[in-house]
Amino acid sequence: MADERAVTAEHLVKRYEQRRVVDGVDLSVPAGSIYGVLGPNGAGKTTTLRMLLGIIEPDEGHRTLLGHINPREASDRVGYLPEERGLYPAMKAKEAIAFMGALRGLDWAEGRRRAVTMLEEAGLGHAADEKIRKLSKGMAQLVQLLGSVVHRPDLIVLDEPFSGLDPVNQEKLEALILAERDRGATILFSTHIMAHAERLCDRLAIIAGGRRRFEGTVDDARATLPSRVRYVPHHPAPAIAQLLPADAVADGGAWRFQLPDGGIEPLLVPLIDAGYGIAGLTIERPGLHDAFVRIVGQHAEKAA
Amino acid sequence: MNNFRHAIRQAMTIARRDFVATVYTPVFLLFLFAPVLIGSISAIGGIGAASMGDGVADKARIVAIVPAQVAPAMIAQDKRLRAMFPRDFRPSTLSIVAPSADPAKQARAAIDDMRFDVGGVLYGDLTRPQLLVPAIDRYTAPYLEALAQATLSADAPRIVATRHEAIRARASIGGQHQSGFIAVFGIFFLTLFLAGQVVGTMAEERNTKVIEVLAAAVPLEAVFAGKLVGMFGVAVLFVGFWGAVLLSLGQWLPPTAAQAIGDLAPAIGAPTFALLFAAYFSLAYLLLGSVFLGIGAQASSQREIQMLSLPITIVQVGMFALASAAARHPESWVARFAEVFPLSSPFAMAGRAANSATLWPHALALVWQLLWVALFIWTGARLFRRGVLQSGSTPFWRRSRAAPISG
Repeated sequence: MADERAVTAEHLVKRYEQRRVVDGVDLSVPAGSIYGVLGPNGAGKTTTLRMLLGIIEPDEGHRTLLGHINPREASDRVGYLPEERGLYPAMKAKEAIAFMGALRGLDWAEGRRRAVTMLEEAGLGHAADEKIRKLSKGMAQLVQLLGSVVHRPDLIVLDEPFSGLDPVNQEKLEALILAERDRGATILFSTHIMAHAERLCDRLAIIAGGRRRFEGTVDDARATLPSRVRYVPHHPAPAIAQLLPADAVADGGAWRFQLPDGGIEPLLVPLIDAGYGIAGLTIERPGLHDAFVRIVGQHAEKAA
Repeated sequence: MNNFRHAIRQAMTIARRDFVATVYTPVFLLFLFAPVLIGSISAIGGIGAASMGDGVADKARIVAIVPAQVAPAMIAQDKRLRAMFPRDFRPSTLSIVAPSADPAKQARAAIDDMRFDVGGVLYGDLTRPQLLVPAIDRYTAPYLEALAQATLSADAPRIVATRHEAIRARASIGGQHQSGFIAVFGIFFLTLFLAGQVVGTMAEERNTKVIEVLAAAVPLEAVFAGKLVGMFGVAVLFVGFWGAVLLSLGQWLPPTAAQAIGDLAPAIGAPTFALLFAAYFSLAYLLLGSVFLGIGAQASSQREIQMLSLPITIVQVGMFALASAAARHPESWVARFAEVFPLSSPFAMAGRAANSATLWPHALALVWQLLWVALFIWTGARLFRRGVLQSGSTPFWRRSRAAPISG
């Protein structure tokens, strides 16, 4: 199971008119994992997901979905929440969920039964018989999400699932994603909100300018940037800079600099011996946000 | 095959959604009772059917089986009497036939003559004439009786003809043509009402963004087929409702009207004709609906959909005109063209069923029309995929310009 790939993509290319919006993307999503596709707006995330699902055909490259070269052959085992949410406004919430399940091969009556249970578990039991047009945007979005998993798919593809949700519903969505992963499903989602990716992803890819710029774990991404040190001396003095790395900058009563290759220990002894002392010392690991900004920024610089 | 069944199941899911979404709305009642508001179209149909009857006037005859020496006097009297009638009410052309050994048998043969619609036959001694007339014909017998009286000398005693009811072994040509027109018009009327509904059905999916959900789960061909079948279900409900209403009303028709309807005798036989009418209505709906669905799916706004209604109506009226011409002249090249051209084929073949008893062309036509339905659905889905979802390969005429600009 550990070696199985739920999704693979090799050199996917998509052109619109003269522009290559996806320019040779490779992906490999392990089965049973939560995999994030990160990228700035217009990076090609949605187009990549649509190609993986077979909504649009790539101009070049190959992909497999749950082992199938033709994604259509796996469609009953896939759930999909598109970036542009869409439900029939005149449908009742439970009917909308059952309908989405029926499209994926679930019996309509069973879908309706599961819909009621899922809505209750999501705290939306009262809305089961409400028409979609009467629900708030966030509630409708949750209904659509439930519709995309009601048939218990092996692969769930979520395109920007957190956008438009308030913090409470974002938390519910995170819980649902984790629950689906625990059930054994693979979750592939795109986002440009790093906090969610950082909390949820087992692996991630960063796409910018239609190309994959990074692939690995969250820790791998963080490791692309060195850690930062925040040092607060007991007895501050301007001369302290002579004992600190060249990139050290004063920040109020503290100094900030990149963690040296040899670690922090060789620096501490001279500082103590010189009588500056240590009032505070923090080694700050860079976040995914920082890594993302750097990786995407490097691409932007090259492109410029 | 498994994939096909899978696609059928998905199409049926979409059809069910569309059917329920359409029927379970108050607006549907307005739609259902719309025919009450447009009696004018029925009037057009009536005029058309009447003109179709006129089209066969040159094949209508009355026959007198009389000796050759009586013929000149009878022809002269026919000319004189005929002139007394207004133009539109003149009797059919008189044919004079010399009597054989068995004039009664000769009269029955005249009634069954495939070349003409014989409205009545006069035979026997003119002082005691025998008349063989179909029950439906109320005017021919008195005319033939008056003609016999006028042909005799002026001082001859008043004659009383013996009337025999003629039962045709075949449908009358006029009845066939009228059946043909009614079939063509009926299908036109129903598709005019119903097939246009399909045009805007993809707009809902586009406006609500549901299309992305559908396109991810279901092949677009199945989406199109499902929408077509869903709306066809609505059409069948509509036709079923009004069919039941008209059948109920039929019980209350006066006997003369019932007799007139009874003369509408399609050549292929009433039960087969009814089945073929249903089949051709279904295919006319599916053919026009699949074209309209494909075109309508390209429209991105309600305004564009409204603008499409004019060309769509023109297409429908054009097919009706073509098929009407075919029904009027069943052996002409226009008829052959209308039977083969996909969009007019169901109309024209329904007309043919009224005019010809041969069955095999219908089997061929139904398969031919189904093929075109599949082709139109496939083309519509392909255009939608390329034009709206922006999928598919770059057209060859653009490939030379499609150079990469990034990376």
